[in-house]
Amino acid sequence: MDMIIKEKIKQVKKGNQAAFEDVVLYYQDKIYHHCFRMLGNAHEAEDIAQEAFIRAYVNIHSYDDRRKFSTWLYRIATNLTIDRLRKRKPDYYLDAEVKGTEGLDMYSQLASTDRLPDEEVQGMEIQNFIQQEILKLPAKYRSIIMLRYLEEFSLQEISEILDIPLGTVKTRIHRGREALRKKLRHV
Amino acid sequence: MDCNKETVELMHKYLDGELTKDEEIMLREHLEDCEECQKHFHELKRTITLIKSTDTIHAPNHFSTSVMKNLPAERKGTKYVR
Repeated sequence: MDMIIKEKIKQVKKGNQAAFEDVVLYYQDKIYHHCFRMLGNAHEAEDIAQEAFIRAYVNIHSYDDRRKFSTWLYRIATNLTIDRLRKRKPDYYLDAEVKGTEGLDMYSQLASTDRLPDEEVQGMEIQNFIQQEILKLPAKYRSIIMLRYLEEFSLQEISEILDIPLGTVKTRIHRGREALRKKLRHV
Repeated sequence: MDCNKETVELMHKYLDGELTKDEEIMLREHLEDCEECQKHFHELKRTITLIKSTDTIHAPNHFSTSVMKNLPAERKGTKYVR
């Protein structure tokens, strides 16, 4: 498959716009899924995923074809989702980081009227519950957890996608896993 | 509880596939003796299974059509020449 995509991109670079549709078709589910997991909202996910492909097309000449195309594409998509998350109004979206706190969002500021975890799990489909818990993670952990476990990128590739040092990726995946472990141990 | 910190570090290295042989032995030996860490390790592995178990979501219909429609106009090598 990689070879076919490589060939298609060559054609796109030569000015064959139609060849880009095959690239979109091949990656659309993955990129949309990634955006949806990052944003937790179908409408925004579609918006951002579309934007990611358009940017990829417009900037196709800056893609170095000795590198993996998917890494490059995910980088565009992830940056767009993070921009979108930043632009959200914190009083409207509960998962925005609270100023002056390291990684704490509005959920953590709410008084604990929550039901006990056990009841909560029973009241919701497990899949939904997991998705919600992933969404509550600060974006910098969430992106890494998803790139690793849903997209199965290596830590080195994640470091390239997010443009952060490998050591930082390791620290964050470690913290992300611990945070989720605490939330999901009752499931 | 705090035999923990170092062992938890090893667990994460294990999950990232980065344990050396010696560390692997250390971790295994510790887990054999420590129920608390066993539980922690089990929960971590289970967490990963749960994350992976979430369904794949598909892009909406017409996604690619819509992308193609919104691309900037094609720069044709062939200009209108009379």
